[in-house]
Amino acid sequence: MTDLLNYVLYLALLIHMGLAAVVLWRIARGENDIDRLIGADLISTLALAMLVLLSLIERRSTYIDVALGLAALTSVGTIALAKYLADEQMF
Amino acid sequence: METVFQLIAVLAILAGTAFSVLGVLGYVRMPDIYTRLHATAKVGVFGGVLLLIATVVWTPFSAGKGLVLIFYLLLTGPVTSHALGSAAYRIGVPLRGAIRDDLTENGDGSNDPH
Repeated sequence: MTDLLNYVLYLALLIHMGLAAVVLWRIARGENDIDRLIGADLISTLALAMLVLLSLIERRSTYIDVALGLAALTSVGTIALAKYLADEQMF
Repeated sequence: METVFQLIAVLAILAGTAFSVLGVLGYVRMPDIYTRLHATAKVGVFGGVLLLIATVVWTPFSAGKGLVLIFYLLLTGPVTSHALGSAAYRIGVPLRGAIRDDLTENGDGSNDPH
């Protein structure tokens, strides 16, 4: 059962890496600023999922701490950039 | 009992990965900013949270960090999506294939709801 879990974890990690590559390609030919910002937010979410999978593979909880910091920073950054694009000012 | 927890973890990881694949597929294939945003919000809420449920159920360490991260993702995912959609509407990104637009019925037909 642990072998099955390890296979599934590595498979999910590979799939997430492929998805991040697809999103990067889509950002490179995006339509406008908001489209690229949505792609950057999606890549940060995929990186968070990859960190969670890494913590499950390595059996180490440090990656969860890194994922927590990444989630906090990227959500605030995305909201601030969206507000800047809409209002031409940050505050 | 350990086997049951591992089975739940495997199912949660497979379901979360399927949601991530569908969300990225929607991001690539959807015709519009708003529909695209609708697809990518599922990656954060379902993909990330299901992987974290697998971490909480089958875990070699304490489950508290996973629960905090689930709470934080459920708190910030809708806020981020709403900020992006509102910004796109206020910039004036066109809706494609929309039947009607409720927010333009308040006066001079400008694209700004304020």
